[in-house]
Amino acid sequence: MSEHADAVVALLNVSKEFMRDKIRIPVLSNTTLHIPRGDFVAVMGPSGSGKSTLLNLCAGLDRPTTGEVIVNGQNLGDLSEAGLSRWRSENLGFIFQSYNLMPVLTAQENVELPLLLTPLRRAERRKHAAAALAIVGLEDRADHYPRQLSGGQEQRVAIARALANDPVLLLADEPTGNLDAASAQDVLDLLVQLNDHYGTTIIMVTHDPKAARRAKRLLHLEKGDFVQADIDALEAAR
Amino acid sequence: MIKFLPLVVRNVARNKIRSLFTCLSIAVSLFLVVMLYSFLTVQDEMTVASRVYNRLIVMNVQGLAGNVPIAYVDRIRKLDGVRSATSFSWFGGKYRDEKIVFGQFGVDPQSVADVYEDYVVPPDQLQAFQADRTGCVVGALLAKNKGWSIGDKVPLKGDIYPVNLELTVRGIYDGSSSIDREMLWFHFDYLDESLKAARSTMAGNAGIVVLRAKSAEAMNRLTEDIELAFASSDAPVKALTEKQFQAEFMSYMGDVRAFIRYTSIAIVIALLCVAANTMAMALRERTREIALFKAIGFSQANVLSLFLGEAVVIGALGGVVGCLGAKLLFATVDFSKMLPGLGWLYVPWSTALAGVALAASIGLVSGVVPAWRAAHLSVLEGLRKVV
Ligand SMILES: Nc1ncnc2c1ncn2[C@@H]1O[C@H](COP(=O)(O)OP(=O)(O)O)[C@@H](O)[C@H]1O
Ligand SMILES: [Mg+2]
Repeated sequence: MSEHADAVVALLNVSKEFMRDKIRIPVLSNTTLHIPRGDFVAVMGPSGSGKSTLLNLCAGLDRPTTGEVIVNGQNLGDLSEAGLSRWRSENLGFIFQSYNLMPVLTAQENVELPLLLTPLRRAERRKHAAAALAIVGLEDRADHYPRQLSGGQEQRVAIARALANDPVLLLADEPTGNLDAASAQDVLDLLVQLNDHYGTTIIMVTHDPKAARRAKRLLHLEKGDFVQADIDALEAAR
Repeated sequence: MIKFLPLVVRNVARNKIRSLFTCLSIAVSLFLVVMLYSFLTVQDEMTVASRVYNRLIVMNVQGLAGNVPIAYVDRIRKLDGVRSATSFSWFGGKYRDEKIVFGQFGVDPQSVADVYEDYVVPPDQLQAFQADRTGCVVGALLAKNKGWSIGDKVPLKGDIYPVNLELTVRGIYDGSSSIDREMLWFHFDYLDESLKAARSTMAGNAGIVVLRAKSAEAMNRLTEDIELAFASSDAPVKALTEKQFQAEFMSYMGDVRAFIRYTSIAIVIALLCVAANTMAMALRERTREIALFKAIGFSQANVLSLFLGEAVVIGALGGVVGCLGAKLLFATVDFSKMLPGLGWLYVPWSTALAGVALAASIGLVSGVVPAWRAAHLSVLEGLRKVV
């Protein structure tokens, strides 16, 4: 149980299946997984293997068919819909493949968005947002709108937004999927730095072996279960 | 929730053309509704304001077209509780080649200023009017629109009556905005003598009699006394308060109130559809974004209030432009020339603000369905489109 107590994320005997046109689509089958505090995990696996589903379960955006999801000591099954929203705003950072910034808000305002849900006052919100932008190295772009930024910069703003509420867990779904090699490198550097300096626990889904190499460990999702994998072995197998 | 306001405002400004057109439809329609309702409110205000003068209007039981013999005026004056009384005979003559007839009334020059104490005539002008059999007193608005001043000739060509009147302006009355300042008063006797000279059978009709009671209590009693006093005569009469008279007069035009109400309801429903469509389009465009908002911790209630807020802001914006626009327009532009007989019309603050509130509520109601759908949008569905 010590492993469990120390874990930021614990999936206990989790199964997940979807129903489509009365056909059962099993995605995860009786999976148990522990991710300790300060870990940086890359998740790889074929398309449709359930990588996004895993992140959604960790974020409380979806509920397991059976089993329990415990994040930072909170059993997500115990929370109501509204409770989950609140919990997400306090504990979670989410980064997507497409950056999903609000086009009508400046970089600074986009980063402030999740802080609107906290009791912070306006001045404090600005300070937090500015600090998050500084971490991703875009303090000089605070007043730029998304369309005035490059793809890499947009993704860094999205990371700053995910950081603004000081999350215990950062979930990234193919964060470099839309980026050129150089920008992808910047984003990965940033994630590594966050993990190193601030001890932020990160789960990153990726298709890119180069990205996966930057993580501390690699999980491979196969036939509904995770296997600890070695990136070199994986590459060789291809 | 105030924290969300800047975000809401940005969202409104997002599709500027669409928001603009929605706001404009609301503004234009609310402008109309506010004007129609001002018509009712101001008339009500006028009757309320005049209540302190305890006036009663005596007319033939058959209505305005019926006969009230001029001798009744004196008999009414003698009744207990009557302070003063005057004939008030509609002439309806043509002035020059104007198509629209303004209010011209044959009155008793000695009594009219007391009956209508709130219609203020300077004492020297009143005397001049009383001394000149062909003199007349005109309302300040009417004088302004026709460009009349003291001493000007006002020829009136008989239309209902077979006689013409050659009047001279001897006085101009004025008063608060709650009185009708577009009337012309002349000597009843001048009309009556002209009719007699022309051997018209129309002579001797006071039209209606307006009396001023000594007190509000006397007024109640007089209503019955007057009806009784003339009950068995050739021309039985009824006595109405100004409020009742107003209602009766309006009923000649049909049920104006109901007409205005139904028209307004139709306008409101049309606006609801326009505004709801705008919000539905916004919802469709922002499915991705809503999913993202929820993924980063916005609750259903948060999303709901974002959307409702947006709908209310659009509605209120349109309302402010339309309603305050109407208020401003009536305050700065003089419409008495363009809308003869409606010179008294203005937009009261209460009506303008009620209009803004109505517009905001239209926004709110139009936003309910889209906002509810946004709040209950599946994050997973939305995110699948995102990732
Ligand atoms: N909401 C859903 N309804 C039905 N099937 C779904 C739903 N979400 C995911 N799936 C299915 O579950 C499987 C795993 O999906 P996902 O987690 O998105 O895969 P990955 O991210 O690894 O590509 C896929 O077969 C997908 O079609
Ligand atoms: Mg996926």
